[in-house]
Amino acid sequence: MRDRRRSRRPAALLAAAALAFGTAACGSGSGSARNDDPNTLEVWTRSNPDPAATYERVFAAFTKKTGIKIDYQPVINFDQQLQSRASTKDLPDVMINDTALMGSYQGQGLLKPIDPASIAGHDQITGKTWSSTVGIDGKHYGIPYSRQAQTLMIRKDWLQKLGLKAPTTWQEMLSVAKAFATEDPDGDGKADTYGMVVPGSAQNGYAAWWGASFLWQGGAQIIEPDGKGTYRAAMDSAAAVHTVTWMKDNLFCGDNGVTQPGALTAVTSTATNFQDGNAGMYMTGPYNIATFDTTPGKDKYEVVPAPAGPAGADVLADGENIYFGARTGKTKQEQALAAFLISPEGQKLAMTGKNQPVVRIPVNSTLDAAKVRDDARWSVVQKAYEDASQQFPNAPDFAPIKQDTADALNAIFTYCGGDVRSQLGELNETLAGDLKDQDLLT
Amino acid sequence: MSAPVIDPVRPTAPDTPAGRSTKAQRTTPARFDTALGWNDKPSLAWALRILLCLIALAVFAAPFLTIFSGAFTPNPSGSSLSFLPHDSTLLNFKVAGERGIWDYLGNSLVIAGGGLLLQLVVCTLAAYALARHRFRGQALIMMLFMMTLMLPEEVIAIPLSLVLGDVPVVHLDLKGTVWGVILPLGAWGFSVMMLTEFMRDIPTEIEEAARLDGVGELRMLWQVVLPLCKPALGVAGVLGFIMIWDQYLLPLIAAKDPTDYTVTVALSILRTDPEVGSGVVLAGAVIALIPSLIVYLLLQRSLVTGIAAGATKG
Amino acid sequence: MTATVPAPAARRVFGVLGKKAVVPWLFLAPGLLLALVFKFWPMAKGIWLSFFDVRPFLGDQWIGLDNYTRVLADHRFQDAIGHTLVLGLGQSLGAILLGFALALLLEGQARSLKILRTAVFLPAVTATAVVGELWRLMYYPTSDGLLNSGLHLLGLGPVQFLDNPDIALYSTMAMGIWIWAPYNMVILLAGLAGVDRSLYEAAAMDGVSLWQRLRYITLPAIRPALMIVLTLATIRGLRVFTEVYVLTGGGPAGSTDVWMTRAYTLGFTRNDIGGASAASVVLLCVTLLLTVMVNYLRKRGEAR
Repeated sequence: MRDRRRSRRPAALLAAAALAFGTAACGSGSGSARNDDPNTLEVWTRSNPDPAATYERVFAAFTKKTGIKIDYQPVINFDQQLQSRASTKDLPDVMINDTALMGSYQGQGLLKPIDPASIAGHDQITGKTWSSTVGIDGKHYGIPYSRQAQTLMIRKDWLQKLGLKAPTTWQEMLSVAKAFATEDPDGDGKADTYGMVVPGSAQNGYAAWWGASFLWQGGAQIIEPDGKGTYRAAMDSAAAVHTVTWMKDNLFCGDNGVTQPGALTAVTSTATNFQDGNAGMYMTGPYNIATFDTTPGKDKYEVVPAPAGPAGADVLADGENIYFGARTGKTKQEQALAAFLISPEGQKLAMTGKNQPVVRIPVNSTLDAAKVRDDARWSVVQKAYEDASQQFPNAPDFAPIKQDTADALNAIFTYCGGDVRSQLGELNETLAGDLKDQDLLT
Repeated sequence: MSAPVIDPVRPTAPDTPAGRSTKAQRTTPARFDTALGWNDKPSLAWALRILLCLIALAVFAAPFLTIFSGAFTPNPSGSSLSFLPHDSTLLNFKVAGERGIWDYLGNSLVIAGGGLLLQLVVCTLAAYALARHRFRGQALIMMLFMMTLMLPEEVIAIPLSLVLGDVPVVHLDLKGTVWGVILPLGAWGFSVMMLTEFMRDIPTEIEEAARLDGVGELRMLWQVVLPLCKPALGVAGVLGFIMIWDQYLLPLIAAKDPTDYTVTVALSILRTDPEVGSGVVLAGAVIALIPSLIVYLLLQRSLVTGIAAGATKG
Repeated sequence: MTATVPAPAARRVFGVLGKKAVVPWLFLAPGLLLALVFKFWPMAKGIWLSFFDVRPFLGDQWIGLDNYTRVLADHRFQDAIGHTLVLGLGQSLGAILLGFALALLLEGQARSLKILRTAVFLPAVTATAVVGELWRLMYYPTSDGLLNSGLHLLGLGPVQFLDNPDIALYSTMAMGIWIWAPYNMVILLAGLAGVDRSLYEAAAMDGVSLWQRLRYITLPAIRPALMIVLTLATIRGLRVFTEVYVLTGGGPAGSTDVWMTRAYTLGFTRNDIGGASAASVVLLCVTLLLTVMVNYLRKRGEAR
């Protein structure tokens, strides 16, 4: 008894002392971030400071036009911050973030359903683009904002030197890759060049992100809707086995130098061989164009459509959507902002300027990316998006599915002696489990 | 670390370098100065030491030449190494500056300065209680402090974010203020543990003598105990600074605005920025590592200047 | 701190319990308070979440031990246990031994030694992400790579340091040792600085060998520093994460996946916060157990 009192008393004193210390130290602490002014929208984007400056410009134009103020917050650790705000049941009014997050956010009840007809200018977005924002229950949960598709970046000067043409099929791509690796395209007399760059790590699902285009081109799907609102895992199909076997045999377990060294642990920030001038091809998104114009140099490479596989030339498309936070009660203002963001004016502002653009391929079909940017290469990307692209299914929470696919692909490409069919069979069971966790398994 | 002039209660503890070099060196030759008894005179052992030092230098420091050379090279290759810049330029630093690295460095300096001061004070006080007093629950308290090191901060990120937005009881919003980063760093289990270990090793005779002279608790800590564990304080200073400097998640959680970011956050932003090359990232890395290096240089003396012979072991 | 204590209350407390009992708590107060608000409270919440299906907006659902059974039954977590033990143990022991060797080698007052110590300390002051990139370059798997060009001179073929699943874990370990050895060196140097020099002198007069001098004078005298380094290794060893994350991301084929990279993937790329919390709590319990054990062994050692 005596002992317990001994420790409780000082504790009370400490609390008093701490209070004094705390108030003295942080008396200047500002008020709450939340803005209850109906004429101010809190908008979050997942952006670094430089692209955030582009958003600032866009929002300033919006405020000038409509008088609706924007409390803009660029956030780096978006999901963490969003979760902590979600637990206070007070979400940002508008969020702009990856298309792939829609299923996850909707599953957590974070999003407001959207009626496309309520957004002015909705008819300037194509039906295909709108269809990518349909959730599990058939309602729309996002408004398309920016899109992109993968294309092949290839060294023009190397092709010329070796007397080759840009590849249009997998086989041609493979022989160009081998030529790049063995015929000394940079002319320094050393065998220090590689065919293509692959961010093949499983980290953050990169292997699946990069490999998806090949899967589409080989006629494979990761998961397939069955038309009844549920899905089945599809990685054990003959097309998937064939495609993954082809990739493994030719790109990872075949001749040396077809892919860059270290491909299996590379992520996009470490796969710099194209910039460094020692790899000749890179299937990637158009945001790299600015980087590659500096190194290896604008005159040294070109942007071409992805080579076709047995089932076509479809590539992975992705992008950003505009999401409305659930239960925020500023619907009119939110709709006005969305209408501005997808309008030709809003889209153009976000594609130009001295900071990094935040819209790659405009969702507004009246705009031509190549014209707005005055750069013909963007029409290759836009054409790829419009005519030959598929997104990951966004209605389910795709993150676990992508991660499991990446884990499996990375393992298959690492162990050349493995049996692809049985490894993909295992993956398929895992994917079925992921779907089951979401109650989406057929 | 404001290095105050410490006036030892017992003048027999010559803890200043001057006292050491005049008194200790006269009585003990250099070969009694190190555990291995290194000698300054050319000999086989001397040659061996130089050889080993060169190897250590090559292993631990040489790779950094590539960071420095890359920072001064216009477009360093990300997939090959060079020890000297090709044609040196300050362009990378200029670009890093345009991306705001100097402002972020300013934030970092404020946070690291304030955070380290708070951390040293808080941890020293706690360590003094744990090392020099006996009370119930001592082992438990020690374990609690060590537990702060055990749970990965990613797990506590979301709850911590809530706490920072609305501190329990006092209801303050620390987000967007430097306090949001500084206060959570105040109690660092490692410093508490280390200072406790070192303070425990101080013989009780010294303390008892001072107590007989009527020295109070604070003065005891400040004038008797602290001077005797300077090396430990030095370590706590250096490693504490590095720990605060390296914080990535905490400044992000505590930030309200990109202008609140620190240089460590800025470095990761540069790495994912598609428009800047690896040269700019390396320039950022060089800028980011210099303050820690300066702190190390400043505190280095307290790390290796021991307490003079015989003073502590009564 | 003491200034805010209300005088009459303080007098009464001091009167009843004696000043001695209160003093340590006053000294502990700031630390405990900061830890309580910014560490223990979030930590308790994190642990609490491990029993829920975490859906912050819809309301978390209590699912008992489901997160735990799911994590412990996941074969990828099971595979990670072995990697974690090998990496944690190898890295910690390697860094302690190498750090001790460095401390012994670089102990001393000469100016050249100061410069050397600063240079050797560079790995500890550099952002781990940058260190990761540096090592990816050193490990570059063709004969252009720094380490491979060295091997090439010896007539050895290029080694796939990171892409070979049999080697990647050890490559990661080497980098971990490289990062943490200078860190341990600093702590051990501080220990060496406190060794009574007159003991060395006395030992020399008795004519003891270098080994005996190390064993019977230096090692006992730097016991606090050694304890710190060991405890730190216990706490940090199993938590190993950043080193793996920046170098291999757990790959190739999960061959460097450790417990925390698994937990991180669960929490951040799969949005399974409950599962990630459960995985972390398991780690916390194991670490706590280990630390208590180390403490117990040490107390027994001291009693002897």
